[in-house]
Formats: sequence, structure tokens, C-alpha cells
Amino acid sequence: MSQIVIKDRIPREELLASGHLACPGCGGSLAMRLVLKALGPRTMITLPAFCWTLLSGPAPRSALGVRHLHMAPGTTAATASGIRAALDALGDTETTVLAWSDIGGTSDAGLQALSGAAERNEDILYVCHEDEAGMNTGIQCSPATPWDAGTTTAPTGAPRFHPRKDLIGILAAHRIPYAASSTVAHPVDLIEKVQKARAIRGTRFLLILAPCPPGWGVSSEETIDLARQAVRTRVFPLFEVENGQRWRFTTDHPGDPVEPYLRRQGRFRHLTPEQVRRIQSEVDARWETLKRSVESGS
Amino acid sequence: MRDDQAGGDIQRGAPSLTSRSGSRKCARPIYQDMVAPCNAACPVGADVEGAMNLLREGRVVEARDLLLRENPMPAVTGRVCDHPCQTACNRAFFDDAVNIHAVERMLGDLEPEVHAPVPARTRKEKVAVVGSGPAGLACAYHLARLGYAVDVFEAEPEPGGALRYGIPEYHLPREVLAREIQRIRSQGVGIHCGVRVGGDLSWKELESHDAIFLASGARLNRPLELAGQDPADVRPGLEFLREARAGERSTVGRRVIVVGGTDTAVDCARTALRLGADPVVICQGTRADLSASTEAFDEAIREGVRFEFQVWPVAVQTSEHAEQEEAIEAIRVMYVENEGDRPRTRLMGVECVRMRAVEAGPSGERRSLPIQGSNFLLPADTLLTALGEEPDLGFLPSEITRKGYVVKVDEFGRTNHPGFFAGGDITGEARTVAHSLGSGKRAAIGIDRYLREKAGEPVAETGPKALRYGGTGNFSITRWRWDDPVHRSGEVNEVVPFERLNLAHFKSVPGKPDRHRSFEERRSSFAEANLGLTPNEALAEARRCFNCGVCNQCELCLIFCPDIAIQRHPDGHGFTHSEQYCKGCGICVAECPRGAMVMMKEDR
Amino acid sequence: MKQVITGDQAVSWGVRLARAEVVAACPNTPQAQIVEELSELRASGDLKAHLIQVESEQSAMAACIGASSAGARTFTATSAQGFALTHEGLHRAAGARLPIVMAGISRTLAPGWTVGTNQDVSLLQRDAGWIQIHCESNQEVLDSTIQAFKLAEAVSLPVMVILDAVQFSNDREPVDIPEPAEVDAFLPGRATRRKLDANDGALTPPALCMEMRLRQQEAMAEALTALDTLDEEWGQRFGRRYGAIESYQTEGAELVLVVSGTVAPTARHVVDQLRAKGEQVGLVKVRLFRPFPATAMRKALAGIPHVAVLDCNLSPGHSGIFAEEIRAALYDLEPGPRPVFHGYIVGPGGHDVRPETIIDCIALTREAAKNPTVCEREDIWVGVRS
Repeated sequence: MSQIVIKDRIPREELLASGHLACPGCGGSLAMRLVLKALGPRTMITLPAFCWTLLSGPAPRSALGVRHLHMAPGTTAATASGIRAALDALGDTETTVLAWSDIGGTSDAGLQALSGAAERNEDILYVCHEDEAGMNTGIQCSPATPWDAGTTTAPTGAPRFHPRKDLIGILAAHRIPYAASSTVAHPVDLIEKVQKARAIRGTRFLLILAPCPPGWGVSSEETIDLARQAVRTRVFPLFEVENGQRWRFTTDHPGDPVEPYLRRQGRFRHLTPEQVRRIQSEVDARWETLKRSVESGS
Repeated sequence: MRDDQAGGDIQRGAPSLTSRSGSRKCARPIYQDMVAPCNAACPVGADVEGAMNLLREGRVVEARDLLLRENPMPAVTGRVCDHPCQTACNRAFFDDAVNIHAVERMLGDLEPEVHAPVPARTRKEKVAVVGSGPAGLACAYHLARLGYAVDVFEAEPEPGGALRYGIPEYHLPREVLAREIQRIRSQGVGIHCGVRVGGDLSWKELESHDAIFLASGARLNRPLELAGQDPADVRPGLEFLREARAGERSTVGRRVIVVGGTDTAVDCARTALRLGADPVVICQGTRADLSASTEAFDEAIREGVRFEFQVWPVAVQTSEHAEQEEAIEAIRVMYVENEGDRPRTRLMGVECVRMRAVEAGPSGERRSLPIQGSNFLLPADTLLTALGEEPDLGFLPSEITRKGYVVKVDEFGRTNHPGFFAGGDITGEARTVAHSLGSGKRAAIGIDRYLREKAGEPVAETGPKALRYGGTGNFSITRWRWDDPVHRSGEVNEVVPFERLNLAHFKSVPGKPDRHRSFEERRSSFAEANLGLTPNEALAEARRCFNCGVCNQCELCLIFCPDIAIQRHPDGHGFTHSEQYCKGCGICVAECPRGAMVMMKEDR
Repeated sequence: MKQVITGDQAVSWGVRLARAEVVAACPNTPQAQIVEELSELRASGDLKAHLIQVESEQSAMAACIGASSAGARTFTATSAQGFALTHEGLHRAAGARLPIVMAGISRTLAPGWTVGTNQDVSLLQRDAGWIQIHCESNQEVLDSTIQAFKLAEAVSLPVMVILDAVQFSNDREPVDIPEPAEVDAFLPGRATRRKLDANDGALTPPALCMEMRLRQQEAMAEALTALDTLDEEWGQRFGRRYGAIESYQTEGAELVLVVSGTVAPTARHVVDQLRAKGEQVGLVKVRLFRPFPATAMRKALAGIPHVAVLDCNLSPGHSGIFAEEIRAALYDLEPGPRPVFHGYIVGPGGHDVRPETIIDCIALTREAAKNPTVCEREDIWVGVRS
């Protein structure tokens, strides 16, 4: 039917329970829910200190229905490596070790450990849920915060224009077997990618756009629509890379103008028309680069 | 305290379910089905959306039966109705409106069940219906299904009224009509043809019936007075259609002029075309003023009918006129002599004048005025009029109040005279088959209520607004008497506007237009011109329906909930919402593709 | 069998015989040899452990926490800067009651880039919640490494085995290496496996936090008894006992030196020499530093007139760390039995602690003893280049 019906393509088992403490409309919790559906109960998660430390509920409660370990920030990939080694030593090669982090724990403090793990091609699945700024500690400005977004440590009086770290590019340069991007607005795409990743051995990396309503300055019901728009505007393209060489888009990107996407978010309201133009051209440039990778690699 | 414990008594696997994480919400979502715009726009009052929903699941017979609850003649309306449902269809704002009439036609054309049950006679009252046009047949159908004994009295030798005598074969084939009428008969309705009420059957004799529904239609042609006109020169269009329908060799010439902008006018022209003529339709107003259906007009144009807008005839030119010999000679020259048996009339042409639109008076009604000196001559050997019809009220009992040249009725079809109801063209409502079917239904409900009240039974308080789809559409008889077979949640009687839909979940699929016979074929045959869609194509069209306002269990609300606060209802219909865990974020409502959910503010 | 091996090699033997299952480490001077040894053993199949060569010690400790949480017998080794980098993780491991074993080499923390010994870095970690064992010989290193696993698993606390830099990493000594079967009898495979399913480390309410700390403390107290039991068993199986502290020639001593690490053998040599000359000198060697063996310490030193603690470390602004802790422990003694306390800083940074240095300390102590006033300085630096 012309409605894109997806209910039969979403696994039914719920591994995330209700009662968690996420903000209303939290993209991160939806991301976790979907990823766990794709992975199933034979999963162990390690999480650094970020939203999920609190989100899951105060001890002894937990909303996560799989075994998990909360760790210090910056250590996620290393902890995951340790868990993997232990499981292998104990004869369990089936359980997926899932390293789950936000953008801060991946792109800032955690990048060293992630790079180390990727270099060793550790058999872990690393999911970075991209909420674009460290959200649980009052919204700071991290190197992954895009284009002068208003945050508490870089209030917009002193805007800095620096583009985000290209995490998938970084991981692709490590030639890991699989890296991909998805969003919470594309649940089938996300689940398929997770399932594909699950079947591969070695370091696998997924970047999932999960809008954070308080951080982005939007109303709680906009989460899904925003993620969808991020893809349509090519701000956050959906693609996958195998072995750092074969790049492939996994959806259409109509290339809607970036401005409405920016203006609807409170964190970008301060941008001048000039800045918006600059951002549009940066998005366009990145798109061209990505297209070239896709064209040359496939 | 050993290996298996960390500090303190951490409950093993105790999830967060004991937390009341939704206790601070300031709004909550509720499932609230609304009315689809097609339902509200349908003059018959059919549950179009409900049928589409069933078809989406492949439940074809159930879809047909759902339509039949409200509309006894889907094969007819699927062919002749101007489908305001499609004009209102929300899909039109996205790509193309759903081809609803083709779907309806496909359902109407399905083989009827061999052993369909006859409704039980649960009521002791009898109802008489005068006239077997669409209004009368619909009323009879619904009353029979309400449990009444119904007798339909039809003056003509065969039933159908305008359906039989006013709509040409290429538009509504007689075997289709026959099946539809049989469907009505199979509900236990008695149709008595060749019986003229007020003549063969007196009103006194009809008093044995507990209620009477007047649906004798409108067949009196509005006359046309032209200078130099002889009665033989001008023929009423309806009569011409009747002859053609009866298969009589038509007495139409080659240069046929049809005066009027009605459906009848267009039908006359298209019929004449098929009989070898070269018709021209003359309309006083502009294209926009045409009361004929858009489709009929488009088809007529493609078949080769010409239209002259803002033109009005003023005089006939006959072979007897001595003046204007030159003009007549010119006509004769223009007149291509044809082979064969073409009857000669004395009519040679029609003098016309160009009109201009003028705003008139305080009511702002537009009128047309002739442009002085713009007279010109149109060659013609046949002049047909189709300026609209009026009902013949002469035979009615005098107690019944008229309003001008029509019978005055309320929303339930009640006249001032107790026990007398009326509907269809006799009441002067919008003159379409669908409206007539709708009025027949309303009267059936009115009669049912009247008879129950008379018998001292408790009667449902449902008022007209509640009976109408969306408060403005036609009545739903399901709302009057039976449980809705469609599962609805907290239904609100308002139409879903386009803005409430979330189109991100649909992919654009262009609509499938009807197939038509080729123009060559059409011009020379009365075979059905519009071939509709194949059953598979019709099902594909039904799947394009957005199902506006009614949950069709796509589960997007459940999939996108970050708090897993939505569960499938144990009975298999719909969803339950957790009071304890829902935080009122509103994602479910925002993502619902069809606007079947709404956020309600919490009282804090 | 007896082999002449370095301290690093002794560690490797210990890890191998204990059948560690996961080793995560980052190479670092002078611990690198441990990692190299283990890699070779892994390659030859003699070591079945999974080796993760991580890119930093922070990651090493994180990986160990992951591995131990998932139920594997886990080991790491580090020194100096790397040791300091593990710090955050050390608290995490102890609070989570993970039986990780770490070999920590007391190499000087820069600045002052040197590979010489300085106990600062290991003593710095005393508050992290790990059991801490200081070794004086390569034999003790091997024995302690194996014992560490058993101790850790008995009380669910991590254990660090401390080696002095250079002397241990590079000096070779004869070591009696037990047979695998003998070690298996002492340290069987773990009967219960910790499973990663508790909500460790998530947002914890204050009441629960306090309770967690109390349990840690209780476990530490248990560790004292557990070490004794272990030690007893080791003595019976292998003929070597170490104890939490070792008293040597302290009966009737007027002066007792308190030493640790590689200063101990030198000090023992000096005590032997002086005793031969009729001087009433003895020594106490500190082996177990956490949990602090306060009772044993008080028992060993009560009634000794003078106690001289030799610290190869410093808590700037205060004194040597052993001195500080031992003095505090002795405070509980009645004035009569309470010794006069002398604290000396010797050899931090790899400065050689020779018998002469120790004799100097003894002389200074005797000097100070003549003037029974309270010492003004809590730390006396011996052997500093003026």
C-alpha cells in the first residue's frame, strides 16, 4: 500500500522497559530500544557516563533488559574490548558486545579508546547515538557540536564556526569491516543495519542521529520529524561503508534547503543569514565529497 | 557478600517498571477516530473510508457489504455520480485523489451472493413508495432492511425512473441497472410497475399503508419559447433519450443543437453523436456555470461534441421563411447531404445571440444579458431542449405543502402532512442520482422514527447532526440503527483536515484513471464508454487511500514511542496507552499518518 | 624448578601458572617485558589468556573492568605514568568488587624522568580500595602474583602486587618456579563466575553508596585473615611464608628499622652485621600495606625504644608515607610501650640505598635518641647530594 508499512519489519521483542527517566521525546532512548530489538537478548552493553547513566533509572532499578555495565567516560571501547576477551575466554562467541556512547564519549574523550579498538579490529559493535552535544550535563559545546549551535559553554554571543568531526570518515580510515549511519526516524533502516552489523566479526560502528528536544530547543513531539528532515536536507546522510572502501547510500536524499531545518531549532535561532548560507554550502560540499566516495567505491 | 553481589541488595533484573515515569506529563495522547472527508462529502452518505480500509486488507466482500449498508446502488453511483468524494479526498493534496468511483463500481459489479439472506420482517407496519427512481428505491431498500414491508408503485412499465429513462446506455448499461434493482428486490421489496398512483391506484387505497414516501421525480420539461417556433421544431431532450434508450430508431437529424447546460443536455448530445449527428450544445452561462458533471463534459468534448458558451437561441429558421434566402442557401450549402434515410424537418437553423455575464441586484446573482447586435446563425435540423425538469405535483393530495414548484420537506423528508414523506427530485434538492439516493435514506430514517413514535416505542435521540458524517455530510443509517462493524476509538464527528496527516509515511503513487473505450468505438456504439478499472487496479487504488482519521493499526505510534508506553490491545483492535509510563511527548500524535490521534491537556 | 629470572619474568610466570584468562596491558618501561613475555607465551600456546594490547593504561584498566565483570580471571601490569593513568579505573574496580590482579612497578613519577625506584606512584593508590602487597625479591613476586588471584577471589577485592623498578624489572635472581599441577591444587578455576547483570555504577542513592563503602571496608578486614590463611597454605605447599609483616631480629632490640621493597634485603644484611657486633638492632619488613596491618604492627613494635622508618617515597607537605601510617598506628599504644619515632627518606628516584645509607640512618637515630625531645622534622633526608 502506499503507506510505507513497517510494522512487520520491526522485531516485536522489547528489551527496553518502560519507566526509564528519559526526557519526553528522547531520541536516545528510542535509539536504544530499536538497537536492542535488532540485537536480541544475547547482548552485553557497556555505557560511559552520559544521559544513560541516569536514564536507566536509579539503582537498583534498570530499564535495560540485557546485561550492562556503566563505566567512566572515555573508556567505552576499551571496556567493550575487555568484555569481549572475557566472553571469548569463557567460550561464548555468540553474545554481542555492544559499546554504547553519546557523541561526547565517542568523539572527544572516547576517541582514543575507540581508535585503539578499531585498530585492533576488536569484535565489538560500537553505537554512537548522536545527540550533537553532551546532553546530560547541561549541554556543553563539544567538538561535535555543529556550526555555532547555542550551548551553555559556548553561548551564542561568541559563535565559533567549526564543522563537526566526521566520525564515520575517521572510522572508515581505520578500515573497519562496517560503519554506517542511521536515525531514529528510519527504524527499518536502523534495524537492518544493526542486524547486518551483528553478523559481521570485527569492529563495527554505527552512528545514529537521535535528536534531543531540550538540547535542540524543540518541542518533544518533533524528534522523529527532525531526524527525517536532517536526512532530507543532507545534513545527516544515511550511508554505509564496508572495509573503509565501499561506500553506499541507503536512502534518497532530496536535498531540501537547510534553513528551515535550522530555524525550527532553538539552538540555531541566532544564526545570521550569512551563517546559514555558509552552513548550506558546507552541507553541499560534504555531500559532494560523500557522493564521490560512493561513486568511486561502488 | 561474595562473587555475585555488588554493594548492597541490588535486585537482580528488577526493571524500572515500578517507576511512575509518566507522572509529570502535561498532556496525554488519545486515540480519536475522525470522519474522513470522502464520507462527509458523499451525497449518499456511504462509509467510503471504511470500505477502503477493508479493501486494503483484501476483504472485498466485506467492503462491498459495508457500502451496501448505506448505498444500495454502488454500481450505478460508481458510473453516474460526479464523485464529490474525490474532490474532497485528502490525497489530492499529495498526488492524485483516490479513484473512489472506480472502486465503488468494481464493488457494485461483483457477483451478488446467491443466497443472500432476506431481512426479517420485524415490523408490522407497511410503507408505500411512489416512484421507483433512485430516491424511491433507496427508501424502499433501507426500510426493508429496517424490517418493514414495502411496496413500490411505478407508473412506467419498468422500474428505475431517471436511471432507466434519463441516463443513456453508454453511461449506465441496462443490465447493470437490472442487477441493482434485483439487489433491491432481493431485500423483500415489492415493485409494482404500470401502476399510477392517483390514477390506477387512489390515495384512499394507499391509506392502508402506515406511511407514504413520494418520489415521483421531475419529468416536466421546462419549455423553450423561440420566435417562429412550431411545437414540432423543438423536442424535449428527455423524450429523445427515452426513445434512444428504448431502441427506437431515433428521429434525430445531422445538425443537432441541444439547448441547456445540464447532464441531460450533455447526454442528448453524446447520444445524438452516436446516432451519427454532429451536435452542438448551447449554454447561456460560462463553462463554470455548467451544471453537468465535469466528467461528462470532458468526455463529450473528447468525443467531438461542440459547446457554445454564453450563447442563447432567440429564433428558429425554417424552410418556410421567405426572408433570408441567402442565409438559408448558405445553410443548404453548409449542409452536407448524406446518404440514407435522414428525415427532413422544416427546421434549417437557429438564430442565436451572444450573452454577457452581469452582476445583478443586491443578491449578487449573476445573470446573462444579450449583447446587442451579436446575432448569428447556427445551422440545425434538430433542436433539443434540456433546461431542467420540474416535478409534476398535480397528482398529489392537496394537503401537501408546496414550496414553489417542489414539495417542502425537512431533513428527514417529512412533509407537513403526517405520514407523508418525500424525497428526490420532487423536493427540489440537488438534482443528482446520489443526492436522490441520499434523500431516500433520510426519509427511511424519518419514516422509521415516525412509525416507532406512533407505536409508542422508545426512539433513539440521535439528531440530524449526529447522524450526518462529519456533521455536514449525509445521514448514516448505521449510526441510526446498528452497531458500527468498523472498530472506532472515541469517534469524533468532525472531518480530518489535510494538515492533520503526516505524509512522510506515504510514498507518492499516481492515481489510476478510468479506462475508456477509444473515441472511434464510442462514436458509433452505445456500448459502455467508461470501462472503469480492473479489479486489481481498483484494489491498488483502494490501497492508496490514506484512511483519514481512522486507525488502521499501522503501529507507527507503538514503534516510535520512546517509553514503550503503547501496547497492542489484547482483543486485537487498537492500542492501549499506559497512564503510568506515557510522558506526553506527543511523538505518536505527530507521527500518526492519518490524524487518528490527538493530544489532550492534562488537568494539573 | 629453579630458574634465574627477572622480576618481570617472575610476574609472567605467575600470570601463566594462575591461568589468567584475560590480560589487558599497554607496554611501559620497565613493565614492557611483562607484556612481551606474555605475548610470547601466548604465541607459543603456553598462555591461554586473551591478550589485549591497549593503547593506554586508562583503557587497560577499563578493559580489565569489562573482562572481570564478564567473569574472566583478569590481569594487567603497569608502572609510573601509566600507573597514574589507571587511577580512576582503580576506584571503579574496587568499588565494583572485581578480583582483578595488577602488577604495579614503583617507578618514579615524572618529572624527574628516570626509571629508578620511587614508591610514590604505588602508594598514591592506597586509597583506591585495592589490596596492596610489596615484594622484596623475584621469588616473592612470583609467589605473591599467584597468591594475589586467590586472595582477590576470596574477598572480591582487586589486588596490586608492587615491585620496585629496575631492580625487579632488570635484575635476575634465582627463583623456584612451582609446577603447574601444584599451583592448580592451590588455585583452582573459579567455582562461581561473576555475571554482568547487576546495575553496577548507575545513579546510586546516598544510602546505597554508604552501604557499598561499608561492605568494601568489611572485605578489607576479611582480607587480613584471608592473607594469613593463604600464607599458611602456601607455606605448607611450597615451604615459603611471608606474612603481612615480617619481624627480623626484633627480640630485645633497642632500635628497629621498618623497611619495604628492595630496601629490605639490604637492611637485613645490615642488621645481621650489627647484631654480629653485638648491637641490638632489628627490622620489620612491611609486605601488606592495604589493608594496613595495624594490629600486627603494634604488636611487633610495642616496647621497642626506637623505630626508624625508611621511606623511599614522600607525601609532599607531610612525611614519608609509611612513616605517617605507622606513626598513626603506634599512637594507640600506651606511652610506655610506644616507641620514639624516626622517619627517614632514602633513595627516591632510584638513588641507591646502600648499607652505608642504612647505617647512617641508624646513627642519626642514636644521635637523636640522646636528646629525648620531640623531633622537629618528621622527615630526615639521608643521602641527599648537597
